[in-house]
Amino acid sequence: MSADPFADRPVPMPRGRRSTELAMLVFALAVVLLAYCAASLGLSGKLPSGPLLYIVVFAVLMLAAHLAVRRYAPHADPLMLPLAALLNGLGIVMIYRLQESGRNGNPGNQVAGLLTSATQTQLLWTGVGIVALVAVLVLISELRVLQRYTYTMGALGLVLLAIPALLPSSHSTVNGAKVWIIFGGFSIEPGEFARLALAVFFAGYLVAKRDVLALAGRRVLGIDLPRARDLGPVLIAWAATLLILIFETDIGTAALFFGMFIAMLYIATQRVSWLLIGVLLFLFGTWVTANLFHHVMERFTVWLHPFAGSNPTGIAYQPVQALEGLAFGGLFGTGLGHGQPYYTPLVQSDFIFSAFGEELGLVGVMAMLLVFGLLVQRGLRAALAVNDPFAKLLIGGLSFVLALQVFVIVGGISGLIPLTGVTTPFLSQGGSSLVASWILVGLLVRASDTARKPAPQPIQDEGMTQVVRAA
Amino acid sequence: MNRALLRISLACLAMFVLLLLNMNYVQAFETGKLASEPGNIRVFNEQFTYQRGSIVANGDGTNVKIAESVPVKGTDEYKRYYPFGKIYAAVTGYDSIYGKSGIEQAENSELDGSDPRLAIRNFTALLTGKQKQGATVSLTISPTAQEAAYHALATGTNGHAAAIVALNPSTGAILAMASYPTFNPNLLTTFNGETLDKVDNALLRDTSQPLLNRAINETYPPGSTFKIVTSSAAFSTGTVADTATTIPAPEPLKLPNGNLLHNDDFETCGDGNPSIIQAFWLSCDTAFAGLGIKLTGPVLRDYANLYGMNRSLSIPLAVSPSLVPKVTDPSLTGMSAIGQFDDTVTPLQEAMFAAAVANHGKLMTPYLVQQVLGPGLSVISNHTPTVLSTPVSSKVAGYLQNMMNQVTHNPSGTAFLTAGPQATGGIDIDGKTGTAQNGPNNSGLNDAVFTCFVPGENIAVGVIVQGGGYGADAAAPLAVQVIKAYLGRHTT
Repeated sequence: MSADPFADRPVPMPRGRRSTELAMLVFALAVVLLAYCAASLGLSGKLPSGPLLYIVVFAVLMLAAHLAVRRYAPHADPLMLPLAALLNGLGIVMIYRLQESGRNGNPGNQVAGLLTSATQTQLLWTGVGIVALVAVLVLISELRVLQRYTYTMGALGLVLLAIPALLPSSHSTVNGAKVWIIFGGFSIEPGEFARLALAVFFAGYLVAKRDVLALAGRRVLGIDLPRARDLGPVLIAWAATLLILIFETDIGTAALFFGMFIAMLYIATQRVSWLLIGVLLFLFGTWVTANLFHHVMERFTVWLHPFAGSNPTGIAYQPVQALEGLAFGGLFGTGLGHGQPYYTPLVQSDFIFSAFGEELGLVGVMAMLLVFGLLVQRGLRAALAVNDPFAKLLIGGLSFVLALQVFVIVGGISGLIPLTGVTTPFLSQGGSSLVASWILVGLLVRASDTARKPAPQPIQDEGMTQVVRAA
Repeated sequence: MNRALLRISLACLAMFVLLLLNMNYVQAFETGKLASEPGNIRVFNEQFTYQRGSIVANGDGTNVKIAESVPVKGTDEYKRYYPFGKIYAAVTGYDSIYGKSGIEQAENSELDGSDPRLAIRNFTALLTGKQKQGATVSLTISPTAQEAAYHALATGTNGHAAAIVALNPSTGAILAMASYPTFNPNLLTTFNGETLDKVDNALLRDTSQPLLNRAINETYPPGSTFKIVTSSAAFSTGTVADTATTIPAPEPLKLPNGNLLHNDDFETCGDGNPSIIQAFWLSCDTAFAGLGIKLTGPVLRDYANLYGMNRSLSIPLAVSPSLVPKVTDPSLTGMSAIGQFDDTVTPLQEAMFAAAVANHGKLMTPYLVQQVLGPGLSVISNHTPTVLSTPVSSKVAGYLQNMMNQVTHNPSGTAFLTAGPQATGGIDIDGKTGTAQNGPNNSGLNDAVFTCFVPGENIAVGVIVQGGGYGADAAAPLAVQVIKAYLGRHTT
């Protein structure tokens, strides 16, 4: 011990690193600004004039978020906010590019269902998202306070999930997915928020019950199976997932819920058997629904044979357009504004990643996937570092589901897995997804702040008193 | 819980790695396949927005543009233009918004710049902000020979469908390829779907089939020109020692099935027991049918295969196979040996017969594309001639040359009057005529066939005139016109 060169010096404390965050944020904003100029040049051959205001507003919002982090979470991970800001900004640029396509004398076709105010609306929702982020940081000083609301959140999550199923189609169905609440011109997708509420519920519930759930039952093939009586919760989650599938015809959301639940169950108990049971239940559930419901089976057909027979012009039209768009982009992409992403239906929402693939190319989407991956990694790191088991579980589960969501939608449009409609976090047009994503960032920032907060400083210069730090 | 969290992290990593790999697969490895999916709207839209590469004919030593993309005034689009209209249609094919044919189709990835060999150049263009450009495809076609072939067909067939192919025997380079009737590819370059529909329908409904490239995609009975193959087999197998060896030529020949085979106009062949060279220049059917029966069907077919028959070729346009069916019945073998029964050949195959003989027994693989040139005319690929097969030894090739020489030089040779020295103005042309009966019970008009080469010069020509009558009268003069023009090209 006496050889330790640091033994006599003060232990270095983690710095706040807020300046790093600011520098990274400015870099992200610069990328967004350049992308915006490139899109404008690509479309009309001119630099943007009036609408440059969009980027100014966006920058102001992000800097406000930075100030809030500086004030309320001074020790937070410096990468989370810049990564989210970069993705959100690129999403706005793409929505602007798609909105301008075929309008104002620009080349290309108009994108169906995309209003001329789409960019403004998305910017407005970004503002709401930042407000939500700040609210999370202000209201939740420690993640464990959420544990008190375990069952409240559980109930809230189930209600949010159930509302679209109970509403008449005219108030709940868009493009065949019965996942909305629509009143007047206003629509929200409650599932995005239900996921966060249920994550809190799962974390609280599993922290309370994890010792019981980890108890071993019979041992089969070298794997400790849980006791039969403990299967209850997992079966309930499975049944709920199937109900979403059946009543809301939303395979993607169901997969995300179930995946999140199983991952959190595994983190809480460290029992591989739960993973196996979960995966088997999911496969069984998918098999049953695929055989019961034509539209589920159709997804598999489209996935396996997108170019067979009349599929490219029929049921596989959308994924085929996405694939051909990606291929058209190739390695380096056509450049923003130079591609033809408007041929892919719903390119502004579920399929926005195919538009990035077409115009930024393989190079661009690999970079964007790495940005997503980095954000997930920072979340998981915070989960590892934080001491509180509830926070660990919540942040671990949320980080995993973020990765899973990117996997499900990007894997879907690129033909890796059957296509299911989920939004692309931060990028897709739509307020619910964006606000929920920013709340998620708020929770990650809070967790990383807690994890990196220096321990209360022991007083060092008190005569001869030796401070012994426990590892 | 940290151990489980680490494993969950690995699961996340695996998901991102899978996504990255799959993106690479789709956007780097599958692009060509996806781009060529029928109905790919992006590729379709893009093709008119940049300058497609030109097609040039370089057979006479200078580049003559036969297809180019020219800017359309008032738009940022390019339109295909064929400066010579119908003359090169069988070579270039067309480039329409609905599809392509000919070189336009076969060399599409080079012309539109999507070929991987052009990737680096396109990338440089991308970085320097230049427009993507297609590669120039330089063909072996000799404009002199091609124009002569086209004019010979347009004026010399009395309206019968016909085709001419000229080859360089020592390389396989195609010097001319013309089909008649033909079409004007400029009519198909319109961007207007309705106009194109009208033109397209008219061409497709035209019973003279102008879109058909008869030079490589239509087959006809070879008639007596097939006696080159039969003689090759006879010499090579030792069945006939040399050109002076006599072979029986009864009039008529009683085939094993009892049918009688007569010579043309029931003439006796020489003294009834001619040397093979005499039987060849007189083109006696009974002599060569008897020889074929003696050689047997499989042996004949083997030699036909060596001459490039019974296989598909890509020049790089797809060539319909010339066929000699498998025959075991000796009577049918006899008919097959004189180019009747079910033997069929393309005009290209006719040229290949003479080319192999001219090139001392070595048959060179025929090809059209000499070079692919990137922007700035840097060479991206250059064709090296390859040997397709060696049907006969140079000794046997010498016998065949002598025999083909007599067809045009012996006063009683079948083509003496139309391709002999006085008809060609002193140019030595050695050849073989064919007059093929066809149709049910040989009720159709005879197809006129001629295959020939010029000793000491690099040209071999195959001509078929459908329903033209005698090969010597209908086909040989067309070949002579092409050869005269080609050999005179340097003096003009």
